[in-house]
Amino acid sequence: MQNVTLIISLVLMLAVGLVFFRAVRAVDSDTPLTDVETKRSRLIWGMMIVGVIVTLGSLRDWPHAIPTSGDIVQVNATGGLWYWEIDTTEVPLGKTVVFNLTTTDVNHGFGVVDEEGTLLLQTQAMPGYTNKVKYVFDKPGEYRVICMEFCGIGHHAMVNEFEVLAELEG
Amino acid sequence: MSDTVSKQAVIEPHATAVKLTMLISGAVFALMMLIGVIMRASQGGLIDMNPAFFYQLLTVHGTGMVGTAGFSGAGIMWYFLGRHVPLSKNMYYAFMVLFLLGVVCILSSTMIGGFGGMWTFLFPLPAAQAGAAWPVWAAATFMLGYVLIGVGFLLYYLAVGLALIRKYGGLGRALGWHIVFGRAEADDAPPPTVIAAAAVTVFNTLGTVVGAAVLIASLINLYQPGFEVDALLAKNMTYFFGHVFINAALYMAVIAVYELLPEYTGRPWKSSKPFILAWSAILLFVLAVYPHHLMQDMVMPAWMIVMGQIVSYLSGVPLLAVTAFSMMVYMYGAKFKWDLASSLLVLGVAGWTIGAVPAIIDGMVVVNKVMHNTQWVPGHFHIYLLVGQVGMSFGFMAWLVKDKTRSSEGLGGLDKVLLTSFAAGSAAFTLMFLVSGALSVPRRWAIHWPEWFVQDRIATVAALVVVLSVLTMLIRYATGLARSNET
Repeated sequence: MQNVTLIISLVLMLAVGLVFFRAVRAVDSDTPLTDVETKRSRLIWGMMIVGVIVTLGSLRDWPHAIPTSGDIVQVNATGGLWYWEIDTTEVPLGKTVVFNLTTTDVNHGFGVVDEEGTLLLQTQAMPGYTNKVKYVFDKPGEYRVICMEFCGIGHHAMVNEFEVLAELEG
Repeated sequence: MSDTVSKQAVIEPHATAVKLTMLISGAVFALMMLIGVIMRASQGGLIDMNPAFFYQLLTVHGTGMVGTAGFSGAGIMWYFLGRHVPLSKNMYYAFMVLFLLGVVCILSSTMIGGFGGMWTFLFPLPAAQAGAAWPVWAAATFMLGYVLIGVGFLLYYLAVGLALIRKYGGLGRALGWHIVFGRAEADDAPPPTVIAAAAVTVFNTLGTVVGAAVLIASLINLYQPGFEVDALLAKNMTYFFGHVFINAALYMAVIAVYELLPEYTGRPWKSSKPFILAWSAILLFVLAVYPHHLMQDMVMPAWMIVMGQIVSYLSGVPLLAVTAFSMMVYMYGAKFKWDLASSLLVLGVAGWTIGAVPAIIDGMVVVNKVMHNTQWVPGHFHIYLLVGQVGMSFGFMAWLVKDKTRSSEGLGGLDKVLLTSFAAGSAAFTLMFLVSGALSVPRRWAIHWPEWFVQDRIATVAALVVVLSVLTMLIRYATGLARSNET
């Protein structure tokens, strides 16, 4: 996801940059500019159509949906200054895991990174609320929990771990 | 340059106050950027820094940059709005004094008191760490500083709003609604500056009031912990205020483009129907888009998160299809001479538009799940604030002294070096943030893991290039001002 996001962003940024570059060069143009409002309308309609497609495509399956039945593993985690308390150190491979997040003090951000350091999921942890986020781990190994919301001088050190185990399957 | 347009541009109301505003803004921008270089060097392991001190610096940097962007934007808007409506000089000085008093409070709180709760002061962190990481007075002084700045801005918008109502008979007419929703002819439309000023006045007044409310609640909570504030409500209010305020800084600065580019193209920027509709849309979008900051708060109503994604995307339409598109049309075939001012203004709009791309993409829920609060976020906001807002501000400053510098005709050799170093340095600096975001590097971490050092170190060098170019532009502006005073 992250690499695709980076590539798409850079391509689109470059495209917008090239349009500006052409506009700068066109300051000296002798050719009259025609159909300005038609071009503007096409641009607006084009953006609207792309927007509708992207919105429907990206939200059709609600990204925050939490399953309420089936084979679900619940993991409860609580953030505090500056620790993560997780009610298990082992999580099964290939099953839907629902993380229930809260905090005892300030806002924290529960982020899970794999052994390569790639962020897989996150949710905010807030005092007085329980946020839920689901994930299906497809690789066994050690996963780190880090803090994704600034919470004071120990923010960067708020790290914990859990293990995803294949033998816990089924 | 068109004589017709340049003759209209000779009115300079409250020029001294605005020039001073821009001098202070330029100096603070440069200082905050220097702090940015130091922080990136620290993250890259090039220098050792105590994490507590890092977070104090980050708080100063964020608060200083956001506040100064607002301050410089306010200076630009006041200067040009004064060409169209009479404004109260005393109100502007009151705004400046309150703003600077607020700055003194914030600097005392962070650099003496050790407050490091970030510019977003997210409830209940200021109180939760009071007495531990920083004294209670430091947290209180920080929030008092914000309140002073907020009161200053409310006075500023009161003066603007009253002036607009007196001349146009209401904010709706100042927004041009009688043209698009009534029977008035397009010739009766207010100038673009008036329409922009009316929209910013409405949304930033609302933003500032909401910000003041959450600040006062946090202040009471600091001394009376029994006075509890709902954390989700406080978060909503804080991000509403923060989002609206920083957008106001950009939308006030773009007024310099509306007013100054016509001097170069010889074509006045017109308040066409698409322009008026675009600004009405901007007014709505700026107020409605803030839930895109809360996409990882799953307890938020789903419709608000969806609204955050949709409005985030829609916000790009008036920016690209009206502001950027119109600028390109006005420039087309205009055969104007480039100088530092016009180049920075065009670069500013380009930076703003280009920076909107990764911001809009981050505003999608599926992307936000893995990009939120990574360095992707400072990646996109540094593009539209550094290249966009700071670019337009320095463009305005270069225009203010354009007859008073050695390279007053066209784009001199030094100007080309400054432009290139500012643009290239900013591009490299922000690209490293985006790359780090894609590599899942969290934002706001004092200590970085060694595998992230490469981007941090490249960013440090790039940021240094930006700082040097900005410092030189600041010196150029200050010497230009000194020469104006001599003549």
